[in-house]
Amino acid sequence: MSEVVLQSIVKRYEAVPAVDNISLSIGEGELVALLGPSGCGKTTTLRMIGGFIPVTEGRILVGGRDVTHLPPNKRNMGFGFQNYALFPHMSVGENVAFGLQMRKVSRADIARRVKIALDRVKLAHLSDRLPKQLSGGQQQRVALARALVIEPDVLLLDEPLSNLDAQLRNEMKLEIRRIQQQLGITTIFVTHDQDEALSIADTVVLMRAGRIEQQGAPDDLFERPASHFAAEFMGVTNLLPGEVAGSDRFRLKGGDTILVPVAGRAGPHAFAIRPERLEIDGEASAANTLSAEVEIATYRGLVIDYRVKTPSGLCLTARRPSPAAGGPAPLPVGRPVRVSFAPEAGTLVPM
Amino acid sequence: MTGSSSPPSPALTLPAPRARGGWRLPPAFGLATPATLFVLIALIGPLLLMFRYSLNRFVPGQMMVEALTLANYAKFFGDSFYQEVLGTTVWVSALSTLLCLVAGFPVAYFLVRQASPVWKGRLLLLVILPLLMGNAVRTAAWMVILGDKGLFNAVIGVIGISPVKLMYTPTAVVIGLVSVLLPFMIVTLQSVLEGIDANLESAAASLGAGHLTTLWRVVLPLALPGILAGTLLCFILSMNAYAPPVLIGGPSFHMMAPTVYQQVAKAMNWPFGAALAFVLMAVTLVLTTSANILVQRRYRRWSE
Ligand SMILES: Nc1ncnc2c1ncn2[C@@H]1O[C@H](COP(=O)(O)OP(=O)(O)OP(=O)(O)O)[C@@H](O)[C@H]1O
Ligand SMILES: [Mg+2]
Repeated sequence: MSEVVLQSIVKRYEAVPAVDNISLSIGEGELVALLGPSGCGKTTTLRMIGGFIPVTEGRILVGGRDVTHLPPNKRNMGFGFQNYALFPHMSVGENVAFGLQMRKVSRADIARRVKIALDRVKLAHLSDRLPKQLSGGQQQRVALARALVIEPDVLLLDEPLSNLDAQLRNEMKLEIRRIQQQLGITTIFVTHDQDEALSIADTVVLMRAGRIEQQGAPDDLFERPASHFAAEFMGVTNLLPGEVAGSDRFRLKGGDTILVPVAGRAGPHAFAIRPERLEIDGEASAANTLSAEVEIATYRGLVIDYRVKTPSGLCLTARRPSPAAGGPAPLPVGRPVRVSFAPEAGTLVPM
Repeated sequence: MTGSSSPPSPALTLPAPRARGGWRLPPAFGLATPATLFVLIALIGPLLLMFRYSLNRFVPGQMMVEALTLANYAKFFGDSFYQEVLGTTVWVSALSTLLCLVAGFPVAYFLVRQASPVWKGRLLLLVILPLLMGNAVRTAAWMVILGDKGLFNAVIGVIGISPVKLMYTPTAVVIGLVSVLLPFMIVTLQSVLEGIDANLESAAASLGAGHLTTLWRVVLPLALPGILAGTLLCFILSMNAYAPPVLIGGPSFHMMAPTVYQQVAKAMNWPFGAALAFVLMAVTLVLTTSANILVQRRYRRWSE
């Protein structure tokens, strides 16, 4: 019984909205990622759920209970802070025990549960160390153990991985997911990294300027971005503005017309297509073919990104495997190429 | 050095000081030495001089006679009047310091956590402003407030409470001292609280701690170094306070600093004045050092 429901919550700072009417329903045991650029209101939303920031308007329900005006110490939520916020004057074990002491758990039970919690994050052997004697990844895990040991109804994590290096981040990401699933705990995870959100969340909520831009399963968001902003944020680098010009036609700004599934849309849109879906010098029979010239080639290890330009001034980025990944030989700058793609390789998004 | 083709002589390439001495003077040593010496002389010189005086003998009429005697210290320990003066000084200082801490902590906490940036600046200025006025002048203002026909009695008279005798009481001296010392306490605590991550308090709250528990288990332990610094500062200033005891305490209230002054300037008894000053310093030193050690032991583990 710990699904979380946000009912039109608003947070204003002196009339300026930081969070502007967000409604969201998170099922029990679900992991939701709040994703969005800096300043879009992710932290503010999470802190309102945790009770650290008063809500200006709207209601927050946890397991059907209205917690909107409950102080944080009455909400039974575990909170993971971006900077971990471990108590520097307490050992690892004392940090983890703190929440249990607040719940008046017996001494013996505290010792047992602290041990279990630290075992779960593989840190039982460091129980007597002070936080500053730990590495960033270890501190992160202590913070997680401290938040989880109280068996919270909801786990709230604010960019828990942002201070870690790439490899550790990957490890911790999987570990958080593993523990979350093992305990079946409703979790809200804030991040500005789309890869992080896609790889661990059940549902990704993309935010923009205090509002929800789009929400859905990771593949849903990644494959079917519903707006220009969503497409851009999900890494679609080719966003070609233009106008719907018929039942299956789209006229690009430079004048070229391409064949795409229009699906009843009309008016100004952008055609969004990932660089991987553009083929260079492919079969001549492809539905859409543009002739262009290689302008810049960027070697990126396993792939090479080619920025190409059509005579009408249209710039596109196409990505091909590099020779290291078994791809064809690199193309020199200035080389004329044919760029082609199938109509369903991209989508139209409203401007 | 004539032949330009000859290899550079070994003497020129050797890092000479290191090779010779094993350790090198820091490069700034040459510059810092005169300044350090000057500061040492300026700070320690008067102390040494006074200490030497305290061993001299006082002969009425002749003032000071060169000697090496502990008679002045013996006089202090033999005369219960002076011991009472010291006792008064210690308890008045301890009480004033405690009141400063109790009153200053909430103010400092409010400044750091609750006030908006604009208000924080204004309030901090308000706290520091009194320091710009000498404490003798501020103490004089308290005379106006606490006097028998002063502001305080006028105000409570309006509500119908009969006037109370405050002027020339220890209570008045404590009030005066607290008002003089409070800014020091607030500013010291404020700078330490500023360094405590607000997220730690949020973390404690999310783990189920109420405000008081958070204060007791998280904020106070982390603020301990600042509490110690502020407390010691106020205590030392209070032990050596001059204007408040003289102006508000009146002729029959005695604390150490005015007594030292009285011996030196009025009785012209320099040796005994110097001895009193050293007793005051020694007691202050012992008390503050023990407090320091006691507290240090608690937070050394994580503060290193
Ligand atoms: N105390 C405050 N007073 C005024 N405005 C604030 C306050 N806190 C946050 N804001 C504003 O609210 C907006 C949302 O801030 P928030 O911290 O939620 O962003 P975020 O999505 O977490 O960003 P980031 O990824 O940088 O952490 C920002 O525009 C910020 O300037
Ligand atoms: Mg944030």
